Amino acid sequence: MITLFKLRTALLAVFLAGAALPALATVDDAHSYSMEAAESFVEQGFIVREEYWNGEVKSAQKLMIKHQMFKGNEYAFWLGTANEDVTFELKIYDEAGKEVTIDGKSSKMYASMRVNPPKTGTYTIVFSLTSKKESGLFWALAYGYR
Amino acid sequence: MKRSFFHALVLLSLTSGFVSIQTAGAQAAKSGVQEFDPQAFPGQVVDDVVVPVPSEVFSVLDKLGEPNWQQEIRKIDLAKTGDRTRLALQFGMTVAEGFVAVQAEDKETVKDIGRDVIDLATGLGLIKSVRPHAQAILDAADKGDWSSIRKEFDQTQKTVRDTMEQMKDADLSQCVSIGGWLRGTASVTSVVAKNFSADRAELLNQPMLVEHFIGSISKMSSSVKDHATVSDISKGLKNILAKMEGAVDGFTKDSVRDIGKTSDSLLDSIKAAK
Repeated sequence: MITLFKLRTALLAVFLAGAALPALATVDDAHSYSMEAAESFVEQGFIVREEYWNGEVKSAQKLMIKHQMFKGNEYAFWLGTANEDVTFELKIYDEAGKEVTIDGKSSKMYASMRVNPPKTGTYTIVFSLTSKKESGLFWALAYGYR
Repeated sequence: MKRSFFHALVLLSLTSGFVSIQTAGAQAAKSGVQEFDPQAFPGQVVDDVVVPVPSEVFSVLDKLGEPNWQQEIRKIDLAKTGDRTRLALQFGMTVAEGFVAVQAEDKETVKDIGRDVIDLATGLGLIKSVRPHAQAILDAADKGDWSSIRKEFDQTQKTVRDTMEQMKDADLSQCVSIGGWLRGTASVTSVVAKNFSADRAELLNQPMLVEHFIGSISKMSSSVKDHATVSDISKGLKNILAKMEGAVDGFTKDSVRDIGKTSDSLLDSIKAAK
């Protein structure tokens, strides 16, 4: 009986570990997809920053990030997710509230867009991920400049 | 017109339910297609700030002219210390110096800085995670592979900050950022002051970052916040913020010099042993 109990406990532990692993992996996966989005930009001379934002968010929940940008640089932002069938919204506004996003594109696992900041200062990034299947979505937002 | 459009958007936001998990203390903000007011945003605010690396600003300075980066390199003469707060500030400052050396394409200085990074990481007890990056910096310096070195300096700083945060040393992680930002800002003011123009000076318009650092210091544990150098930095940053906020019509030569003097004096304080 004790052996059977131990076996069940071990199986449960394996199951729980297995259940936890994908959750841990998905944040990293989201970043991997954002880096996949960055690949073609790197070929065009963009330098990818190592630091990035990430987290988990409810489907359709809007998120806002403040970010410093410098006039004279061109920036690209890459929003990745580990969840399938997601639609993205990604926009950037200047301090006057004017949208400055250019060349926004999205695919199955990521979205990208570029900005040529008209001024040096603080910009506001607003984005959301929407899924019909999942309520919680893992995301990562990275950027590069040239 | 703008206002009624905004109200319509807020109504749309409320009915679509994306205010449901608004975080406590999140700044309010509003959203709009053409106009956006962050003060009324109904969603979730991500508080994390990604601080630009010095080379982001340096690349603009390069486009606006050809600064003599060799002249901007400063010899790092750090007094030996076991003070982890000071070491964290020095670490950020040293990595930022690395970005200056990369801009100057100075192999020997990059190597010296790589070795300083190893010493500082050893002092902080983080050598295990930093050594691969430091070694990569030394190897890339031999090859003159500047883009790899730039990437490794960025990665080194991230690794150190991540490791500190995993070790519940978030305050020290912030100190790394602050030390780096001060060194980068000192370089920018030095380059701009030597060849002043409104476009170059505008690069100092970074009040959000300075507010972020001041706010971070105010939330630090008393052992870090009351550290003499951190306390000096807090006061210095408030002076810098006042200069930035006062530059409504652009930065003057004097205001650039003042920001430079404050940054230099804080860097001296970081370097000194007490």
